[in-house]
Amino acid sequence: MSDLADLSMTEAADAVRAGEVTSVALLEACWRRMDAVNPLLNATIWTDRAGAMTSAEAADIAVRNKAKLGVLHGVPMMHKDMYYQAGKLSTCGSALRRDWRPTVTATVIERLAAAGAYTFGGLNMAEFAQNPTGHNKTFGDCHNPWNPPYITGGSSSGSGASVAARFNYMALGSDTGGSIRLPASANGVSGIKPTQTRVSRYGVMPLSFTHDNVGPLARTARDCARVMTVIAGHDPRDPTSAREPVPDYEAALTGDIRGLRIGVPANVFFDGADAPVVAAIDAALAVLKTRGATVTRLTLPLMDAVAAYGGIVSRVEAATIHAEWMRTDPQAYGAHISGRMYPGYAIPAPYYVESLSRRGPILKAFAAAVFSQVDVLVTPTIRTCLPTLAETDIDHGPPSTETKFMAVSANTRPFNYLGLPVISVPCGFDPNGCPIGLQIAGRPFAEARVMQVADAYQRDTDYHTQRPPSVPLGLKD
Amino acid sequence: MSTFLTDTEAMITTWHGISAPNGTGLRLAAELADTIAAFEKLRGTLVFEDEPASFEAALQATKETAA
Repeated sequence: MSDLADLSMTEAADAVRAGEVTSVALLEACWRRMDAVNPLLNATIWTDRAGAMTSAEAADIAVRNKAKLGVLHGVPMMHKDMYYQAGKLSTCGSALRRDWRPTVTATVIERLAAAGAYTFGGLNMAEFAQNPTGHNKTFGDCHNPWNPPYITGGSSSGSGASVAARFNYMALGSDTGGSIRLPASANGVSGIKPTQTRVSRYGVMPLSFTHDNVGPLARTARDCARVMTVIAGHDPRDPTSAREPVPDYEAALTGDIRGLRIGVPANVFFDGADAPVVAAIDAALAVLKTRGATVTRLTLPLMDAVAAYGGIVSRVEAATIHAEWMRTDPQAYGAHISGRMYPGYAIPAPYYVESLSRRGPILKAFAAAVFSQVDVLVTPTIRTCLPTLAETDIDHGPPSTETKFMAVSANTRPFNYLGLPVISVPCGFDPNGCPIGLQIAGRPFAEARVMQVADAYQRDTDYHTQRPPSVPLGLKD
Repeated sequence: MSTFLTDTEAMITTWHGISAPNGTGLRLAAELADTIAAFEKLRGTLVFEDEPASFEAALQATKETAA
């Protein structure tokens, strides 16, 4: 076997369960790769090598003892540094929590551990999950493995970079306006934002009560499916989590999408799109058509309302959560973080309540108009070629930098207000060698369908298997 | 500095005890005028019976039933 760090998460898990490799070997492979490439990428904030080795050795003993093994048995992982683990560091990417250690453990971390996974560190992220680029004043910017001067996307910057650089099999990200899908797209990995309420948020740093989502970034749609089967479902400790049955998402990955009706938006999502991105999406649609899908161009309704209302909700909720620190220690934030929260305090309560009140009726009207015609929507995840860190540095650039900064998440934000499940998978490269993402959205609780489409696409393409040029070969066991 | 921005700053200070942290905050606060314009366009769409709790019901009402 070549470098173990090159395995997908499901390959790694299955190899451990079958006794073909040890968990210790997987962990050491990840460490070697991390030590080689992370100085260039800055994707991690902290590591716990001793604790991880203890977990790896225990996992290997369980295999030797023929114990009952979970579907993620012996797989080392690192997550965005906002998933609480009692007693362990959780910086939330901010100087304000540089040394903070929570007293509770997130439900999703417990569920991953119950399936046999363990963590070996915490990943870089936008400060308090509040930008779409990966800039971070306190811990340093995260760099794209495909072309380091370019953004990783945010806010789950280290999640995307570490998986792409092949020193992490799977990373949890969080998605309030695109923060799973953007780094998935920018780094050439797969990432799913589930339906709002699908996954528990207990023990996860909040940003926007009504828009936050938890989900995986991994190398393949199959990896995402296995993780979703483990982490989805109601949690008594998160009363907002849905009481919806959880299927075996991985079992639904049949590759059969015959008769699937794909919708491609004729408005909004391609406005100002760059030609290489449009070409990559067209090519992806052609692949899906060869598997028996049909493609329809349609105009999406209510997009002005979705944009206006969605922007209000997340801004007000973020401002509310951070009000005390904004009063007492505003300079501890990056300038663009505090600057973007500040207007949230001037938004009238009736605007906020109107925005929440319209969310249900708008979803109903949107679903009736769109999902009566098509089964899924396909768009670019990011509609332009990837910008550089410098081009989107609104702390140091001219005011016009804000336009490029906001454009990054223009295609992801609408789905957070609508609450729909959306996956991003790699579908090409721009002229700078940076990945392009294919975004696939479905009805509420249609995670199985969007992952099935993504998996079908990955059966006929190899973008998800390609290696960033910054990741060295030859780190064999 | 526009009257709109001056009034907005004063309102935030009065209601929240928070001052503008930097120029980015002031610039974006001035752009709240665009938010007002966006809401003006949506006037008349809010229905008397609409309530925030209807979103979870809408997720159920519109969900995928057979993948």
